[in-house]
Amino acid sequence: MRDLLQTASKGVTVNRGRSLLTMLGIIIGVGAVVLMTSVGRSMEGVILGQISVLGPDTVAVFPGNQGPEGGNSALRPDFDSLTFADADTLAQLDTVTDVAPVVFVSGNARYGTEESDPRIVGSLPGYYENQTVEAALGRLHDESDERTARSVVVIGSDIAEDLFLNQSPLDKRIEIANKKYTVIGVLKPVGTQFFQNADERIIIPFSTAIAVTHRTYADMIVLKAQGDLDLVLADVTSLLRQRHGIIPPMDGGTENDDFLIRSAAQAQEILGTVSLGLTLFITMIAGISLIVGGIGIMNIMLVSVTERTREIGLRKAVGARRRDILLQFLIESVFLTFIGGVIGVGIGLGLDYVLATAVGKYLDNYTFEVSIGAIVLALAMAAATGIAFGIYPARKAADLNPIEALQYE
Amino acid sequence: MSTPKHIPLIETKKLCKSYFNDDLETPVLFDIDLVIERGEFVAIMGPSGSGKSTLMHILGFLDHHTKGQFLFQGEPATKMDEDTLAKIRATRVSFVFQAFNLLPRTTVFQNVLLPLLYHPTIPAAEREGRVQRAIEAVGLSERSTYLSNQLSGGQKQRVAIARALVTQPEVIFADEPTGNLDSASGTHVMAALQALHRAGHTIILVTHEQSTAEHAERILKIYDGKITDDLRSFKRRHAKDGITIEK
Repeated sequence: MRDLLQTASKGVTVNRGRSLLTMLGIIIGVGAVVLMTSVGRSMEGVILGQISVLGPDTVAVFPGNQGPEGGNSALRPDFDSLTFADADTLAQLDTVTDVAPVVFVSGNARYGTEESDPRIVGSLPGYYENQTVEAALGRLHDESDERTARSVVVIGSDIAEDLFLNQSPLDKRIEIANKKYTVIGVLKPVGTQFFQNADERIIIPFSTAIAVTHRTYADMIVLKAQGDLDLVLADVTSLLRQRHGIIPPMDGGTENDDFLIRSAAQAQEILGTVSLGLTLFITMIAGISLIVGGIGIMNIMLVSVTERTREIGLRKAVGARRRDILLQFLIESVFLTFIGGVIGVGIGLGLDYVLATAVGKYLDNYTFEVSIGAIVLALAMAAATGIAFGIYPARKAADLNPIEALQYE
Repeated sequence: MSTPKHIPLIETKKLCKSYFNDDLETPVLFDIDLVIERGEFVAIMGPSGSGKSTLMHILGFLDHHTKGQFLFQGEPATKMDEDTLAKIRATRVSFVFQAFNLLPRTTVFQNVLLPLLYHPTIPAAEREGRVQRAIEAVGLSERSTYLSNQLSGGQKQRVAIARALVTQPEVIFADEPTGNLDSASGTHVMAALQALHRAGHTIILVTHEQSTAEHAERILKIYDGKITDDLRSFKRRHAKDGITIEK
């Protein structure tokens, strides 16, 4: 076997340039498999990171039927379909807790000469619970702040850094839309959620937000589901339909609804499906690349058999059996694809590392992930390609008649 | 007490060979009756197309005959499967070709090593010593790391002889071994074959030249696929500067 390996490696290394060109298809195929599975894993980490802070049982209800991605709520036909009374009624359900209507307030935040462009959220103390956020400094606003519509704010860690640098923000007065607010707390950093920086938000009491905006409808209602998520979603849906006088179509579809319910678990599932779909798609392309690469290998092995016909005749004349020749050429083609596979793995991992380093700066939780399983699978696929596409040329070589081969011109 | 029946090394009875192209039969050898004993130095001599190389290929297990019998040490070759034939080629016969047939871009050492890679009984640990002794025997020790394309024609043929003797086969077949060489190199090669013969190997030489054939002790003349003469070489030539073979 050692002799066979040595002979095969010599057969491959004697034409280095040609071998390398032959390997290209395999290198690209295997590199793509390794890169894409690693990117897939890294993205999975990101997606899970976006959602895991919230927990899968966090549910958000949006007005209209277009979801949060539908653009500016003010431009949507049903932007005012969720009332505060809806939130109050939802709070009475046994299957939900921490129901909190949300009103977004527009405006920049200013402290002295420093200015920041946060997302300003007016909501009830339950919001902290269902969004799983805690205070790093000071305190969160509570019922007493709500009762008196106090002008207090709890700010995200990035806002604290933007406006106050190294000073303590507590008890400082910041200005939002020409109104002064006292900072009572700073949130612990949580990174990005659903690809938005959650540390760039400011939370003010719900009652204060209504007083400022004079709004009568909510931009969103967030709540925490208790028990089976599907049952909770069904409860919330039927309650809101009942309140809004909506008759669903016979198939139970949601097209008549003037609200949209999204859970973190659903989002996770959707993002996971998209990520899996993309990985499968790229892996399929990589598979095609392997087939194309394999045909290239077969082609070059056939050329090699023709070129080395006299050598094959000589080997048979000095005692090589049919299977010795078969194995020699088969090992050569597997050698080509395997080395191509190893180079492909190296390039795939290298690109993945560069990508992870670059993307990791912008996306929290995007880390360099090495999937040993994917590497083993890619190398096994490369070797299998070598066998599949090497067997025909190898058989052709093994079946040569020694005399005809020796006399080949 | 009866003496055991004598079994010659090579024996053919009414051996025929034809090539077939579609339905067209081209006969090459006709009713060859031949006995070659162990330790003989036989030249098969004839003009181009006479069938001498075909006969050598059959006797060397590189080709099959189509009719008649070919017995190797009493064993009929027709009963041997491909693996057995390969084993005989690996262990009991070897070849020196007119075109040398060395592996290109490969060293002298690796070329001589080649048959040992397929030898079923010589252990790997013995290979290096055997190769070195064979290279030494043909006087190329200092060139064992040379690539085959860095050698002259005569040197290449000596490498081929080293390759043929490295397995210590019983029979060495030489097909026009001096055909591509100048006369000095040719003499060297013939001297080497005579040395191998003296060391006990059976040598079967194929040539179309009378002067080359006269290095053998027996000359079989072949013409149009038939043996026309079987002569003792009474004015045998002796080539000088042979090789050193341990008996």
